[in-house]
Amino acid sequence: MISLQSIAGGKRAVLLFLALLLTALLLLPESRQEPLLALGRHMADAVSVPLRALEWSAQGFDGLWARYVALQHVRDENFTLRQELARLRQENARMRETAVASTRLRDLLELQERLPYPTVSAQVVGRDPSNWYRSIVINKGTQDGLAVDMGVVTPSGIIGRIVKAYDRFAIVLLIIDPNNAVTGLVQRTRDEGIVEGTEKGLARIKYLPLLSTVKVGDQVVTSGLAGGFPRGLPIGTITKIERREAELFLSAEIAPDADFAKIEELLVVTSPRESTQLPPMPFPLQPPAKRDAGDQR
Amino acid sequence: MKVVAYVTLVLAVIPIQIVLLDRISIAGIRPDLALVVVCLIGLYRGEVEAVFTGLALGFAQDLFSGGALWGNLCLKPILGLLAGLASRNLVNLTWAFALVLLLGLSLLSSTVMYLLKSFTGPGANFFLAARGIILPQACYDAALGLAALKFIRLRKPFRAPLTALTYE
Repeated sequence: MISLQSIAGGKRAVLLFLALLLTALLLLPESRQEPLLALGRHMADAVSVPLRALEWSAQGFDGLWARYVALQHVRDENFTLRQELARLRQENARMRETAVASTRLRDLLELQERLPYPTVSAQVVGRDPSNWYRSIVINKGTQDGLAVDMGVVTPSGIIGRIVKAYDRFAIVLLIIDPNNAVTGLVQRTRDEGIVEGTEKGLARIKYLPLLSTVKVGDQVVTSGLAGGFPRGLPIGTITKIERREAELFLSAEIAPDADFAKIEELLVVTSPRESTQLPPMPFPLQPPAKRDAGDQR
Repeated sequence: MKVVAYVTLVLAVIPIQIVLLDRISIAGIRPDLALVVVCLIGLYRGEVEAVFTGLALGFAQDLFSGGALWGNLCLKPILGLLAGLASRNLVNLTWAFALVLLLGLSLLSSTVMYLLKSFTGPGANFFLAARGIILPQACYDAALGLAALKFIRLRKPFRAPLTALTYE
């Protein structure tokens, strides 16, 4: 308890004056407190400088703590998560690959079921060892019932014929090789010709009748007259018609339906004439693009 | 022992050529690994070993090729012989010499293959073949050959074949 008697007389008077002043200030109406507030504003400004500095320091400290000191364990967690992510990515890629492979194999199986001819499925294991021939090496051979001149098909269409067969391997010359020839038929006009490869990696149908009404966009299928292919398997679509003067026949460039750069699995038709049941014309094979579009729908 | 090594080499080179080199093809052009191997054997071991290796590699290459000709069987020993003969007067194998030799032999091999194909099958435009196959393959073969040479030199420096010394 403060006793006013212990304070000296002059000081006591000052303290009493201040007490009275403060009491008077408290009792002043709000409208009369403006000077006091103006004085307080300056003081607040002065105080705000160290306040902000302190706040900035505190935030910095908090940040330092939160980002570095308190996150020491996050580094380990991050490392673990990265490892987990890499593993999941690998797994994802593997599963995608499996899904793609299963789609391909399903298509091949469907084709095998639809074809009324005995077929042997095979896998592409390599390409021609030189750049001069367009051929592929498959992992089935004479031990599996394959022989020279048998036709090779994929769900997209025909791709070639076997030119060499060993016990466990066979060499398939693709239809885009100039040395290959297959009998073909323009589906709309029923004109027959010989389909052979070109230097550009496409195919060409030759010996079409001069008066043929063949046009760009016509589908060419196998005629089944010769070679190892049954009738009606798709070969490709006509992209260009070549009419040369003084020639007795027409020829037309064909864009093959099969993608020869991406062949992985295929079917070898071991006997194109064994069954008496002929497939409907045209044979219901779809190019991959159309089939994919259908799947997406 | 040497025979076993060569048999192993032949058994390794052809599967690599068929299965793996397609993955490093540029615009559909693959290097001819058999050609590179035969040339390097010619340079390092002389013409006799190169001719025999060329026979084996060319034969194996033709077995797995879609072509009906035996072009590689005939060509590869000749290339081995030429490489061997080129190394006869060679005391120090320089990069420039190796480059010219590989380029030249690849160009020769491809041109002969083109002529063989043209005589026996449907004719093809030479300039199209030169631009599309012969020149790019020669460059690729030379690059692969020089890379292989670099690798070999790390392990075994070039030593002139005995035939080169007998001349002196």
